[in-house]
Amino acid sequence: MTPEFVLGCIILIVGVIAAGFPRPMTYLGRLISLEIPAFGLLLIMLAYDEMLALLTFIGVTAISTFVLVRAIERKEAAP
Amino acid sequence: MIALYLVAAIAVFAAIRATVEKNTGRKLPYVNVMNFAVAGAIVLLLDHPLALVAAAAYFVGSTLEANAIASTYAGGERRG
Amino acid sequence: MRGVSGVDDILVILFAAVALIGAVSAHLQRDRFGKLIAVGIIFGGIAPFIAARGYLDVLIAVSLIVPVTTIIILLICRRDAHDA
Repeated sequence: MTPEFVLGCIILIVGVIAAGFPRPMTYLGRLISLEIPAFGLLLIMLAYDEMLALLTFIGVTAISTFVLVRAIERKEAAP
Repeated sequence: MIALYLVAAIAVFAAIRATVEKNTGRKLPYVNVMNFAVAGAIVLLLDHPLALVAAAAYFVGSTLEANAIASTYAGGERRG
Repeated sequence: MRGVSGVDDILVILFAAVALIGAVSAHLQRDRFGKLIAVGIIFGGIAPFIAARGYLDVLIAVSLIVPVTTIIILLICRRDAHDA
């Protein structure tokens, strides 16, 4: 039980609650809240020294955020 | 050794102060203070030559992020 | 933190406090810019944990990718920033 693992689990739980029940119930609020469990999972991967997994996860998170931004932009432009 | 604790305490104070602030324009200077403190903590934490590069990368990235948020909040270069 | 010196629990608590303040604040904020600022505070809290493990090259890569993610989200915030 390293401090990174405990902190990662707490941030992961808070982030899952935040992404599941976002305060402004919009697509944008949920997309921003989706960043929080990503950081929690980053800390858990750091606790297990999985550095290649961490780098891949962060890169894929950035690319998927770009894809989701394009989807939300298209959805809100022509509702 | 006391410098590391001082920098960490400054980071906590700036994070609390940026959280309780209501106005978004007044949040950003406190976020900058926290970013400076964290960049100093990265340098002081390890005695390694790459720590300087890492702190510079964190500094550049966080400053760019804060400036992008401020620019968008102030209206941006073109308003859709 | 581990590998630095003997007295390290205070630093862990302080930087964990920064990350937790950011995480709770990102859930409770209602403004979109407040949420983005809180996500930046979370990353400020976890960056020293990556540095304390000694993975400085990973820290360089992560601290250059995470602001790009925020800037990508800002592309969609700009659309109706004036009526928020």
